[in-house]
Amino acid sequence: MKSIREFYEYRELLKTNVRKDIRGRYKGSFLGVLWTFLTPLLQVLVYYIVFPYLMAGGMPNFLVYLITGIFPWNFFQTSIVGATGCIKANEGVVKKVYFPRKILVLSQILSGLVNYFISIPIMLIFCVVFHIPLTWNVLWLPVIGLVEALFIYGCGLILAAINVYVQDVANIVQFLLNLAFYGTPIVYSLSLFPSKNILAVMIRLNPLTMIVDMTRAVTMDGILPSFTQMGIVFALGVVITVFGTWVFDKLQKGFAEEL
Amino acid sequence: MDPRNAIEIRHMSKTFRTYKDKQKTLKERLTRRRGDVIENTVLDDISLDIKKGETVALIGTNGSGKSTLLKLMTKILYPNKGTIETQGKLTSLLELGAGFHPDFTGRENIYFNAAVFGLNREEIDKRIDDIIEFSELGPFIDEPVRTYSSGMYMRLAFSVAINVDAEILLIDEILAVGDQHFQNKCFDKLEELRDSEKTIVIVSHSLGMVKILCSRAVWIYKGKLRLDGDPTYVISKYLEQSAIDNKEEVKKAAEDQEAVPRGAVFIDSPVAFQSVSNQEDLKINGWAVSNSENEVVEVLFDDKPVTDIHRSVRSDVFRAYEEDYAGFIDEATVGYIATIPKEELVNGSHHLEAIVRDGKTKRQIDRRSIRIKVDDNPVSAEDDKKG
Repeated sequence: MKSIREFYEYRELLKTNVRKDIRGRYKGSFLGVLWTFLTPLLQVLVYYIVFPYLMAGGMPNFLVYLITGIFPWNFFQTSIVGATGCIKANEGVVKKVYFPRKILVLSQILSGLVNYFISIPIMLIFCVVFHIPLTWNVLWLPVIGLVEALFIYGCGLILAAINVYVQDVANIVQFLLNLAFYGTPIVYSLSLFPSKNILAVMIRLNPLTMIVDMTRAVTMDGILPSFTQMGIVFALGVVITVFGTWVFDKLQKGFAEEL
Repeated sequence: MDPRNAIEIRHMSKTFRTYKDKQKTLKERLTRRRGDVIENTVLDDISLDIKKGETVALIGTNGSGKSTLLKLMTKILYPNKGTIETQGKLTSLLELGAGFHPDFTGRENIYFNAAVFGLNREEIDKRIDDIIEFSELGPFIDEPVRTYSSGMYMRLAFSVAINVDAEILLIDEILAVGDQHFQNKCFDKLEELRDSEKTIVIVSHSLGMVKILCSRAVWIYKGKLRLDGDPTYVISKYLEQSAIDNKEEVKKAAEDQEAVPRGAVFIDSPVAFQSVSNQEDLKINGWAVSNSENEVVEVLFDDKPVTDIHRSVRSDVFRAYEEDYAGFIDEATVGYIATIPKEELVNGSHHLEAIVRDGKTKRQIDRRSIRIKVDDNPVSAEDDKKG
């Protein structure tokens, strides 16, 4: 509760941080902010060229399938990497000024969320180009993004705080993200697995699988998202955020000394 | 917390843990042995009230813990024992330029920097003209900060920090910003803030400034609160203690056979490469300070000692060094005046040297040497500049 009031007091800092993050990252490059969306699209292009050869039996609309998987994933990955390093990256300010430290984590997630919102029309354009009939259910996309943001925020709080004390976290996170990428049906379909397969069960329990599933349900299938999945991810997000806030509050007192 | 207090500190202690090697990776953390941790108590059982509207100076030698105390007030650090509470919006000028982004313009950075202090957009909009005016950056305000000189950078940073309108202002040795003109302006601004119900806490070594600006001084000695009261009294007690400590340190160092006395000597006039007249006696003015008892100052003219030399009053030099050399220097004998009779001034180039030596060992502490010219019709320094 206290942190929400402080976020409001420091809302200008939150705004400028998000702006700096979105605009500053590609400052100086010719295409600027466009890279935020070009990078995942080029990634999709690579998978689109390579994967049909690897997997027998093509999938209809594989390109749209990839795109609706990569953008929610990209939101997760970019924000987690950004959040993990954010306290360290702002060492200079953290050591010298008091402000709610969680703002650094939150602004990473918010700038990711802004980028995700901008990617929604891109996903929809690809749907239209590939003759996928859109329904009003695409209006669920921002809601799915918000639920994902809550989940990322909780994880980000824990990772950011621990990373100040133990530098290995950044490397471990790299590995886990790699694992999670293949543990989420982004470039393949779960229907490739036999349904009782232990790996398939684990992949189904992955919250990111649920997020990607919901995204595809409302775009490619034009149906309502599964509210069971929505509920699970949301509940998980709340639990992790509460736990993450507790961990962060415990550890933040030592930030200035550890950095 | 008492509503009349701005800052309340109760039985607060702060310990820093240092490790023999800084261990940052998981492997090193897990394999750390107990003996490698060194606990260092920086502040010990401090209790202090600072009332709203007071201007308080924290004084003490380097490493006495006063800067740490300031950081604890800002909530950058947290105490190990006891409590520290503040009431009201707080800004600390420890962080000049915190959050500056070199690729953005000065104006944009004002917004970033002020946001770090917790101001919102409307509040910054209201103050932006004052901030820009105070910084005296003029048209440069719309240039990227990376193009600024370090002086411009500090001026902008200071202007933001001092204009955020906090109720409590914490300042750590900052009046070293910019040129003399800007320093005077900062000082005036601080006086204005002092007279306007703000609470100000200053850490400073310029004891003269403390006496003018502050209504109260708190002396931190080896992590403990030693004395708290009127600045003039506290400062004199502080200097007394510093004198004792300095002497003891030198004595101890001498016993350890590693006494390296320190000091400085200077020649104010004539200046290097100046032309002086052979029509009148040459007066050499200068000063010398050192932490040696019975220091000796020698002036050499073309490697021959000048015999007519005596020490003189130099209040300006004394004020500058009174803290560093407390117990060793005296206002009345900091300066020296040496006179060379005109008969000895032969036309041509000459070598002038001043040396300060330890009284006992005769070891040289510091020396300064210049070349001067003697001729019949000297061009004075002022005429030289005009020409």
